[in-house]
Amino acid sequence: MRHADVKVTSAVVRAMHEQKLLVTTDGVVVEQESTECGGGIDAIASRDGVVQVRSYPSAHGGASAQAGWEYLHELGLDREAPRVGEQAAALLRADECPSAVTTLVIDSEQLQLQLHESVGHPIELDRIYGTEAAYAGTSFLRPDDLGSLRYGSELMNVTADSTTPRGLGTFGYDDEGVPARREAIVEGGVLRGYLTSRETAARIGSGGGGSMRADSWNRMPLVRMTNLHLEPGEGSFDDLLADVDDGIYVETNKSWSIDDKRLNFQFGTQVAWTIEKGRLGRMLRDATYTGITPQFWGSMDAVAGPGEWRLAGLTNCGKGQPGQTAHVSHGAAPARFRGVQVGVKA
Amino acid sequence: MSAALEVAERAIAAASGDDVQAFVHRERSGLARFAEHEVHQPTLIDNVIVQLTVVRDGRVGSSATNRISDEGLAAAAARAEQSAENAPADPGFPGLAGPGEMPEVAGYDDETAALSPEEQAVRARAAIDAAGALGVYGYFTSGVTELAVAGTNGLSAAQTLTDATALVLAGDAEVSGFASATSWRAGEVDPAAVAREAAEKAARTRGGGAIEPGRYRAVLEPYALSELLEYFSFDTFNGLGLLEERSAFSGRLGERLFDEKVSVSDEPLDPAGLPKAFDFEGSPRRPVPLIDRGVARGVVWDRASAARAGNGTETTGHAVPPEMRPYGAFPFALSVAPGAAASVDELAELVGDGIYVTRLHYLSVVHPREGVITGMTRDGTFRIRDGRVAEPLANLRFTVSVPQVLAEVPGLTRERKLVNRSDFYGERYPFGVVCPALATAAFTITGVGSSPGL
Repeated sequence: MRHADVKVTSAVVRAMHEQKLLVTTDGVVVEQESTECGGGIDAIASRDGVVQVRSYPSAHGGASAQAGWEYLHELGLDREAPRVGEQAAALLRADECPSAVTTLVIDSEQLQLQLHESVGHPIELDRIYGTEAAYAGTSFLRPDDLGSLRYGSELMNVTADSTTPRGLGTFGYDDEGVPARREAIVEGGVLRGYLTSRETAARIGSGGGGSMRADSWNRMPLVRMTNLHLEPGEGSFDDLLADVDDGIYVETNKSWSIDDKRLNFQFGTQVAWTIEKGRLGRMLRDATYTGITPQFWGSMDAVAGPGEWRLAGLTNCGKGQPGQTAHVSHGAAPARFRGVQVGVKA
Repeated sequence: MSAALEVAERAIAAASGDDVQAFVHRERSGLARFAEHEVHQPTLIDNVIVQLTVVRDGRVGSSATNRISDEGLAAAAARAEQSAENAPADPGFPGLAGPGEMPEVAGYDDETAALSPEEQAVRARAAIDAAGALGVYGYFTSGVTELAVAGTNGLSAAQTLTDATALVLAGDAEVSGFASATSWRAGEVDPAAVAREAAEKAARTRGGGAIEPGRYRAVLEPYALSELLEYFSFDTFNGLGLLEERSAFSGRLGERLFDEKVSVSDEPLDPAGLPKAFDFEGSPRRPVPLIDRGVARGVVWDRASAARAGNGTETTGHAVPPEMRPYGAFPFALSVAPGAAASVDELAELVGDGIYVTRLHYLSVVHPREGVITGMTRDGTFRIRDGRVAEPLANLRFTVSVPQVLAEVPGLTRERKLVNRSDFYGERYPFGVVCPALATAAFTITGVGSSPGL
């Protein structure tokens, strides 16, 4: 990552082994073990009062998987390091992302966070019932929206899957003793499922729990994401670009914020490029985009295919009072959205 | 000797190295969380964490455990020693903190320490009952935090803190209001009064509408100002942020960047806050001027960043726990100087035409060097017209440059409030911001979110 303008470089690796024993008075006895490994690299460049950062494979501490040390080898941090340093330095000379309503193509890493914030949290049924109102917030969804609410375009298919190989939200049983499973959350753009506990599932008369997780022995289980995926569509990344005469491609999260009902969001990314006549053009810095959840997902007109689909885990999902931090994974392929506001200015 | 210090002394005795330090963090707490009108997710915690650091030939290793038996401490010591053996020598390692004189601080209250789970639940019930017909969401919590640090170089210090907080969001499908109170004396926290404040605020939010995005004059209540300043401080008031040029103060210390009515400091010893005697490296905490009458005056340091800065820079006693240390030091006791306004109504008069913001939600730093932060308003956003707080507004997205927010400040209130800023992740470490309400000439709204209500 060495470069004359790169002032700070950092690399992080993490490894965790967890042993968990759940015993309940209604007969559950579950003993589970899991191993997580992950890591990432960052380069911060600065010159003449401009500061830019580039990360790999993702920002905010890298990516993790329920896997052994081989995952670190697969990430290839040393292989990607020269590119990360060069791009951090190049951003110093890039133009600022302009303000415009335009076509936006989002890479899989940023789209994973978009999915996390604007789908994963609002489908937590405890939030819908208000138990997180004072802190994390509630949801724009209502219990009777199931089966009828249009969440996004017909290309939007989302699943919650606590059996995904290597997922940080993968287990045999959740922290209420409910077996892991895969279930549809959004099918063809229509809301089909919530993340539930046994108690909230009974209240709504749908679902069977399976999403209760505690981050430590001294915290109570809460409804949490497990592994939440945007199912792939078809075609390649280049195919996404091919239908764009004039747009923006964004990559790697830098900032994130969403309102208490998970409607109004604003994300910033580390890097962007113009899309000109179906090809990537100039690098842009300080890219941001903003929108309202159902309208945004409704504007999605293409999702790349299985060959572009990536799974990554994050370890900083906060919820609850006292606070708890969950480890969850998301899979997504790059996708294209029409008519998105980019370039929010202070 | 405190129980925590006794554990720290046993821990350093269990390890061998050129230098060894143990930091002990004990928590006994209860949090009675409630939603609608019921207590749920009640959590009682009694835990102790020992962080051991071993230095051998310039190589540093550490381990942590909550097993404080002799066997448990020996195992932790072996892991710290092994970690040091396996670590490369760190040429930037400034050494462990040595013995020093720790400041005397307040911050412990027998009555608060003695609160039982039943009494915590009674205080939660008081909040629930006081909000009337509206649903109430929030918690009452109190706890005792014992901190102790000991080193083979003679360092030995301990402190016991208490804290209590009542936090209430009152609302229904169409309204919502927020209030909180915190102190190291539970007797100063009135959950019923907090709930009444939240309910009164909620009642005024019905029918909140949209406004056009743009730059507005605004009044920020202490709840809002404290959170905005905390996020600004991550990079800007942080010595490492200054060295890494992500601070808005980089290259600008000594310059007048803000309205002269603005003075901000870190006041870790102030009994009006949640005072603390030493930091997570075992260094004595010191007050640090950050903004002095509009002039960028200083930043906070830990041992590693101070050593890297050179030129005689010393730690100010603002080291964070080890897992957060790569990001630098942090001001856990921000304090904003009061102004002359008698009330928030007087601030609204100074604003004339603008918006009134109670509380913020989900902040994120967009451009650290420029101090640009985005987030949402919630639980009490209003229009200010003709110098008075007027009709309610929807939740608004803001994207502001904090230096711009503080560049023209028509006024601040004389009264200040301690606002809890801990969300109680990990081990309990109560901290907050002491601040007034503030009027600004520049608060940029960049979008409109949902209407008031849950």
